[in-house]
This record gives sequence, C-alpha cells and structure tokens, in this order.
Amino acid sequence: MVCIRQATIDDLLAMQACNLLCLPENYQMKYYFYHILSWPQLLYVAEDYGGRIVGYVLAKMEEESTECHGHITSLAVLRTHRKLGLATKLMTAAQNAMEHVFGAEYVSLHVRRSNRAAFNLYTETLGYKIHDIEAKYYADGEDAYDMRKQLKGKQPPQHNHGHHHHHGHSHGHGHGHGHHHHHHGGGCCSSEAKGVEAKGGEAKPAATE
Amino acid sequence: MGASLPPKEANLFKLIVKSYETKQYKKGLKAADAILKKFPEHGETLSMKGLTLNCMDRKSEAYELVRRGLKNDLKSHVCWHVYGLLYRSDREYREAIKCYRNALKIDPDNIEILRDLSLLQAQMRDLSGFVETRQQLLTLKPNHRMNWIGFAVSHHLNSNGSKAVDILEAYEGTLEDDYPPDNERCEHGEMLLYKISLLEECGLLERALEELHKKESKIVDKLAYKEQQVSLLVKLNRLEEGEKIYRVLLSMNPDNYRYYSGLQKCLGLYSEKGQYSSEEILQLDALYKSLREQYSWSSAVKRIPLDFLQGEKFREAADNYIRPLLTKGVPSLFSDLCPLYDHPGKAGIIEQLILALESSIKTSGGYPGRAEKEPPSTLMWTLFLLAQHYDRRGQYETALAKIDEAIEHTPTVIDLYLVKGRILKHAGDLAAAAALADEARCMDLADRFINSECVKRMLQADQVGLAEKTAVLFTKDGDQHNNLHDMQCMWYELASGESYFRQGDLGRALKKFLAVEKHYADMTEDQFDFHSYCLRKMTLRAYVEMLKFQDRLHSHAYFHKAAAGAIRCYVKLYDCPSKSSNDEDDEMSKLLPAQKKKLRQKQRKAEARAKKEAEDKNEEESTATGNSKSGKRQHAKPVDLDPHGVKLLQQVEDPLLEATKYLKLLQKNSSDSLETHLLSFEVNMRRQKVLLAYQAVKQLLRLDADNPDSHRCLIQFFHKVDSMAAPVTDSDKLVWSVLEAERATLSQLHEKSLIEANNSFLEKNKDSVMHRAAAAEILYVLEPNKKPEVIKLIEDTTNNLESTNGALGPVKEWKLKDCIAVHKLLGTVLGDPDAASRWKVRCAEYFPFSCYFEGIHSSAVSKSADEKICKTPENGGLNHQKAGQSIDSHSVNGKLETFKDLTI
Repeated sequence: MVCIRQATIDDLLAMQACNLLCLPENYQMKYYFYHILSWPQLLYVAEDYGGRIVGYVLAKMEEESTECHGHITSLAVLRTHRKLGLATKLMTAAQNAMEHVFGAEYVSLHVRRSNRAAFNLYTETLGYKIHDIEAKYYADGEDAYDMRKQLKGKQPPQHNHGHHHHHGHSHGHGHGHGHHHHHHGGGCCSSEAKGVEAKGGEAKPAATE
Repeated sequence: MGASLPPKEANLFKLIVKSYETKQYKKGLKAADAILKKFPEHGETLSMKGLTLNCMDRKSEAYELVRRGLKNDLKSHVCWHVYGLLYRSDREYREAIKCYRNALKIDPDNIEILRDLSLLQAQMRDLSGFVETRQQLLTLKPNHRMNWIGFAVSHHLNSNGSKAVDILEAYEGTLEDDYPPDNERCEHGEMLLYKISLLEECGLLERALEELHKKESKIVDKLAYKEQQVSLLVKLNRLEEGEKIYRVLLSMNPDNYRYYSGLQKCLGLYSEKGQYSSEEILQLDALYKSLREQYSWSSAVKRIPLDFLQGEKFREAADNYIRPLLTKGVPSLFSDLCPLYDHPGKAGIIEQLILALESSIKTSGGYPGRAEKEPPSTLMWTLFLLAQHYDRRGQYETALAKIDEAIEHTPTVIDLYLVKGRILKHAGDLAAAAALADEARCMDLADRFINSECVKRMLQADQVGLAEKTAVLFTKDGDQHNNLHDMQCMWYELASGESYFRQGDLGRALKKFLAVEKHYADMTEDQFDFHSYCLRKMTLRAYVEMLKFQDRLHSHAYFHKAAAGAIRCYVKLYDCPSKSSNDEDDEMSKLLPAQKKKLRQKQRKAEARAKKEAEDKNEEESTATGNSKSGKRQHAKPVDLDPHGVKLLQQVEDPLLEATKYLKLLQKNSSDSLETHLLSFEVNMRRQKVLLAYQAVKQLLRLDADNPDSHRCLIQFFHKVDSMAAPVTDSDKLVWSVLEAERATLSQLHEKSLIEANNSFLEKNKDSVMHRAAAAEILYVLEPNKKPEVIKLIEDTTNNLESTNGALGPVKEWKLKDCIAVHKLLGTVLGDPDAASRWKVRCAEYFPFSCYFEGIHSSAVSKSADEKICKTPENGGLNHQKAGQSIDSHSVNGKLETFKDLTI
C-alpha cells in the first residue's frame, strides 16, 4: 500500500507540504535541508502507490550532549492514511538508523500533553517513557512531555515493525516543535562541525586573521 | 589591517572586528567612532563601520561608508573584502566575486578571502573558478582535511569524477593505518561511500565493488553499503548475487517497493510498463506467494500482485486484498486501488467485487461464502469505497447516494464528509463542497488536516476571506499572512492566488504568485551555508545531490504554477491596464466620505506601525547574541503596506517584459509542459515577437499536435502572419522567408489553406467537444461572417457514452470543465448570449450538481447549502468581476480563461 523508504533531497518539498497540511509546528525549507545534509540516514518517508508523500519522519542527532542520542524533530502521517501503521514503521526505521549508524544510546522527542493519540503510540507501541515535562514548550503555551526510549543493549530485531498497530488518532497524527530548543554542532561523530545556521558565521572579514 | 593606526586605535580596530563576529554591533560601532574621531578618513575603519551598520539594517549608510573607506584605501584587501561581504549580504554574488578578486590581487594567499570566494563560486556554479580556488586553498594548507575534500568535490562538480577519485585517494594516503578514530568513523565512512559512488559514476564498476569490499569494516552506514553493493552488482550484470542482496534488504525493510522491483529485475521479471507474458505472470505469482509467506506483515507483498495479475486471478487476489482492509476500516483503500483503474478491465472487476460484498453484507451480515458476521463498520467502509469508486467513474449521483448512505449509517466518521466534499467538488458544486468541509472541520477542531482540506475547498469556491479566517486558526500569532508566508505554505498561496485571479483581482493574485516565487529564491539562497558545512560534516553524497536538486529547483510543480499564474496576471494587466491601475481609486470612490477618511487613517496607521516594528527589529538584532535558528523566523515582520497589491501593479512598467522573466524560467525548466508554450505564444504574440511565437507553436506541435490549443495557436499564428504588411526591411524579409520555409515543413499546413487545415482538424476529431470548439473558434477567426455555422458546429456536438472500461454504469464523455470553457467561448469570444444560454440549459441536464450551469441539484438552485456560503466572500471590497466577463476583444488569441483552470 505504502512504501517506506529513506527520504531523498527530492522528497523535501513534499515533506514540507505534508507537514504544513497536518501539523501546527512548521519549518522553513532550510531546516529540512539542514537535516538531510547532516544526517541523511535519519529521514524517512511514506510514499503511496501514486508517488505521493503521505507521511514522514524528520530526525537528528543531538551532538553536543555527553550522551550521544537521537531526537525526533517531527513526525506526520496524513489523516487519510491512518490505520496502516505508518507512524510506527517510520519511527522504527529512524530509530534503527540512529542506533546502527550513529550509535545512539537513546532517542528523545517532545509531544503535546493533549495529544493522547500520539502519546499512546509512543508509550504503548514504541516503548517511550516520560522523562520530564517541559512547561509551556509550545508557542501556544501548552506543555510538552519530554519522552525517551533506550536503544542500546536492547538490540531490537530489525523487522519487528510489521504488525499493524491500531491507533485511532483523533488529532494530527504526529508532532513537532514549538520552539527550537536544539543546538547542533560537534559531538558524536564530529568535533568540528559548527552550527550551519549561524547566519553570517561564515562571513568573516579577512581582518580576523 | 589597522596597521597604520597607533597601538590604542589598532586595538580598537580589533574590537570592531570581534564585535562584528559576535554580533555586538553597538559595541563595534562605538569603537569605530572612537577611531574615526581621531582619524576621520581611515579607510578600513570606515569600511568596518559600514559593514557593522549593514547588520543593523542601515543599508544606504553602509554602502556609503564602505565605498568611502575603499576610496581612501584602495590598496587594502580588508576594504575590498568588506565590500564583497556587503554585496554578498545582498545576494549580489557577481559583484561580490569581483571585490574578492580585487582583494586577492593585493593579498593573493589570504585564506579567509579564498574561502569566501570559493563559496560564492560554488553558489554561482562558476565551476572552473571553484576548482582553481580550491586548488589554491589545498596548496596553502594541505594539512586541512577540508581542503582535500573541497578540492575533490570541486573536480567532481566540474565533471571530472576520476580526478576527484585521485584526490580522495591521495588524501587517504596521508592518513595513518588506524584511521579513523572513533569519533570520526561516520565521516570517514561517508567519504568512502562518496568515493565509491564517484567510481560508479565514472563507470569503473569493478573497481568500485572491490573498493567497497576492501573498506567494508570502515563503512558505518550498513544500509548504504548494501544499496551501493546491489547497485554495482546489477550494473555488472551479476544478477544472482544481486538477488541475494535484495532479499537481505527486504528482510530489513519489506515495505520498500524499490527492493521488490530490484529483486524482480535480478530475476528477469521486470517490465517498466507492467506488461508481462502469461508465463512471466505465473513466475511472478509464485515469487510473491513465497515472499508473502516470509513477510506476512508487509502490505506491499499483497498489493503488488494486483498490478500484474489479470482476469479471474486478479479478481480473486483483489477480493482477498480488499476484504480484511474493509473489516479493519482503512480509509486510504481507494487511493491505494486507484492506479488499477488505468489497467484495462480492472475497474469493472473491482466494481462487481465491491457490489457483491455490499449486497452480501446487507443480506447476510458477512462476506460472500463466509459464515462469520462482519462488524457493522464493514458496511460503512464498503459504502465509503463504493462512493469513491463511482466518483472516479464520474457517476456522481450514485457516488453521492452511496456516501449519504454511509453517513446515515455512522454520522460521526469525519472521513465520510471529506469524501463527500470531494465528490461534490468533482460534480461541480464548489459551494456545497466548501460548506461540507467546514462541517467536517467543526467535528474535530484540533486536526489541522481537516482545517487545511476545508481551506482548500473554500478557496476553490472563491471564498477567500472565509478561507483566511479559517486558516488563521492554526497559526500561532494569529497573523495568518505572515505565518503562512514565513513557513512557505505554498499550496495555500497558490490556491488563493488562483482564486483572486478568477475573481479578477490581479493585484492580490500577483502578490500571491510572486510570494511563491520568492520562496524559491530563498531556497536557492538556502544552499549557501551548506557549501562549507557539508565539507566539514562530510555528507558529500547528500551535498552533491542537493546541488543537483537546486539546479532543477524551478522545474518543481509549485514553481511552475506560480510562474504561470504570474504570467497570466501580467498578460491580463497588459490587455486591460486601466482596470487594475484604477483599483485603488475605484475602491475609494465607492466609499462614503467618512469611510474614506477612516480608510486613509487606517493606511497611515499601518505605515506608522510598520515603521515602528522595523525599528524595534533593528534594536533586537543589534542586541541579539548567539545563533538564530533557521527553522523559524524570530522577528515580527513589518505590516504589509500593500495588502491588495495595488502598488505592486502600479509599479509594473512593462507587464510583458515582467512576464518574459518568468517565461524564460518555465521554458528552461518546464519545456515539456504544454502550458509553458501556450503562455509563450500569448506573450510573444502580444510582444510582436513573431519568431518566438513561432517557436512556441513548434513546441506545441512537438508535444501534442492534436491538442485543441496547439491547433488554435498554429492557425492563429499563420492567420496573423498572413494579415501582416509585406516586409520592407531586410530583417523582416529574412523573418518572412524563414516562416515561408517553415510553413512548408508543417504537415498540418502542407498544400492547404488555413481554412482547409481547420476543416481537416475538425474531420479528424469530430467527436470531441473540445476539438470541435477549437475548430469553431478558428473558423470564426478566419471567416467571421460564418458565425451561424460556427455556432452550429458547437451545438451539433453530441455527448456520447464513454467506452466503459468494463465497468457497469454508463458514463457520458463530456467533462464539466470543458463544457464551462465552451460556454465561455459561446458567450464571450463568439458573443452569442442565446447560444450560450441554450448551452447552459443543455449542460445543466448533464451536470445537475453544477453551480456554474445552475443544475437542479446544485446549491445555486436548491439553496440546500448553508446560507453563509452563498454570500459574496469578503475579499476586502474590490469590485470582483465574475470569471468570464472580463474579455479582451483585441487579444490575438481570444482569452486566457480558455486555458485550463489550475487546481491544487
């Protein structure tokens, strides 16, 4: 029914369109570029039989903290394509890549307190636990659950994601951020990568040397 | 730098530079002023002060200071570099490159400047220059990894892949055996994968495969490793090994369709068009049976066989496929089956199948041949599927009956309303579709998808004001325009632009189309920071892909729509300039004096507010420290001073020249689209560019010579040429002779008059309503005195039954949007209101749900739809013309409305 595969650069515009259709937390194209040009292994899409992108996961590595871990930036599945277990398949694919390519210890994400459907998916199907509550995380003042799932040592079989999970999502199926609480830079794999978004950071006058 | 200054001032100068880097602009400014107090003409200080002011949004001062600084110290590389940075910040890359080059003349080995230059060269795709600069950087600093990588990538981009490989291997030669350390394993692995992909690109397949095996332990990304391996094996025709790898990949992800087609290719069972012999079908069937046993949870293994199976086997497989999904209630089932409707005979089988399920559930409560009862929801999902089936077949009445039955069965399922809205839209009742979508939206206010769907329907029904109010519910600050624009919500901007255009509001239409165009300009700009970032991060494969993506960015569908929309606006503006330029006055003149005063006050206030915000923004930026994140813009945008696009239109001096700008992008990036060349024809005929217009005609004939629009353009073109005065100048004579020679090569016109050519086109396509309409329109152009014959030609068309593709119900051939176009042709181009109203009566019968034709079931007649949707949308008080009324009598080619309506 729906193909689950790694995203390519050509999928980014469709991913952005999918995000804007489904979720209140949106990002400019540059943020999608930033993800795929930093961790191309961590972006997955769900593509329907007609070639339309009907879901995606956008994820990253948090490279500054001491413990190397992944973070789900955004996950969405079109309402018309629920009940296929797509969110589960997308999440599993991204988590596997975090673990096997980057050696992530755990994966974190934020979810709105009111989004029961997504919360159930994360806790019951995917095994996330509440790590903390971030007050007023979202722009509209709603709190977020800071959730985590351990990856190391568990060695989940690679294809344990087939059994269709039924989650009757009543809200936008997925989540995203209200703010950018994320820093990126050196860490896990890189010791010299600086934040690409630091505008003007590259434009130093010669006088500095 | 700062060398000519005494020690105290030299230190202050360093402070300016440091403050600039840390974005403490006020501090920098203070230091600069302190130096300038003593040395008012110190060039480098003036330059740095200018650069600092540039970051505080004081552009004109910035340019003045930087230029003065440079004039005072032409021999300073700092001044030149700063000048380049200033241009760069304004995206004036060519000018910036010139400045950097001047700086390098003074200080040829300056690494900072070389690096900045190389970034601009990558951005501008000055590839040979890029190679040169990267070579210089490597020579100057060979101990930097980034310089090796940058040199290699530059050669790759400059189409010299094998040289790139050599450089990477030389780089590897500088590494210790135990390289990489743990924290660089990912990056090193990426570099190796990049090198192997280069070898593959160069056709050195054996070597690539060998290298891949040799470096296996150093490649961290095992999935990429396998995908690279299988790609090489297939290219080397080592299919048995390839098959094994594909099976491994499938075990890792049995939902990736590309692995299945890869496996089929390795087994010699793959056809691009899906055409297989019966022997092959048997083999495929067996293959998927075994795969099904292995991956029982994969939906792909069950779905793919529906593509290749035929007849009874297809029926059986489809039945087995559909049943559990109906029981489970999978809303996307129809869209999943939809591609099968293009396979001959399958739509009919599917229809019979679903009808059989429906009747069995209704009579026995279960599927045919099964004792167990289905849950009640199965019937609802079956009706849901049937409704979509009939919608796809164009049987809207039956589709609506089925979806209504489903809604009656379970009134709480939102998906049903979404589908009903879609059916109503297809059937031609846009207002009712919008009302229904709004109803669905109210059933779950927290779901943005339903909100978006509703906004889309409202825009289709030209309720722009309502649509805006609805969309705003999901944007944070409540300032929908800024937010949707900042987040690059292009579908919304396109759909509102198209609605404004339909309503004749060119100002706001153009504003929306240009907004989308701006997003693409921003995306081009987005790549800039990654030229250095990716070299450090070593994501080289993704980086090169990104550059290629950028090179074809303007071929993307949204850009195409935006450019086409903007061109239409400009053409319309050219055709009726008075109308749009007076919009503001019109608007004003309609108001009472008190209202006028209020409006002016409002405008003044808005301007004042905008100014204030701009100032606040400066303040913020000058104090901000740390990095801003790119995911969102943090600063409030100034208030839009031209919300109606009135000024935008007034600023256009030569609409056709503006149109040409976008036309060129379409021609370059969407040359296979009929629309591109239709627009080119329209623009160039108006510009009297005969040869360019002819080129458009030739392109149209190349793409689809039988298309009614191609025919229209062809004949109109030569009709126009025939009516032109005989050439006088040499160049005109040349053009003339070229056209004469070309004309002889066109089979359509070979030894035929235009009238004869039109007749044979008609003869060839006499059963198609759109072809007849085109022939009639052309007949009218060629022989305006034959109007009765022209009208008869159109009215004599019959709406035949479509060949039924095996399905049951009879479907008429005519499409609603075609009939609307014909109606407009009759009423406007041909100017025959009687014929138009006869056509309308006739079509009202064919399209009983159409509001346009006031069909008996449409909300325009029955008023069944919610009251509010029938009101005029609140678009801000401009005088909206109904689509089709604004016709330009002197345009060469009738009117633009005959172009296909764009829908999202």
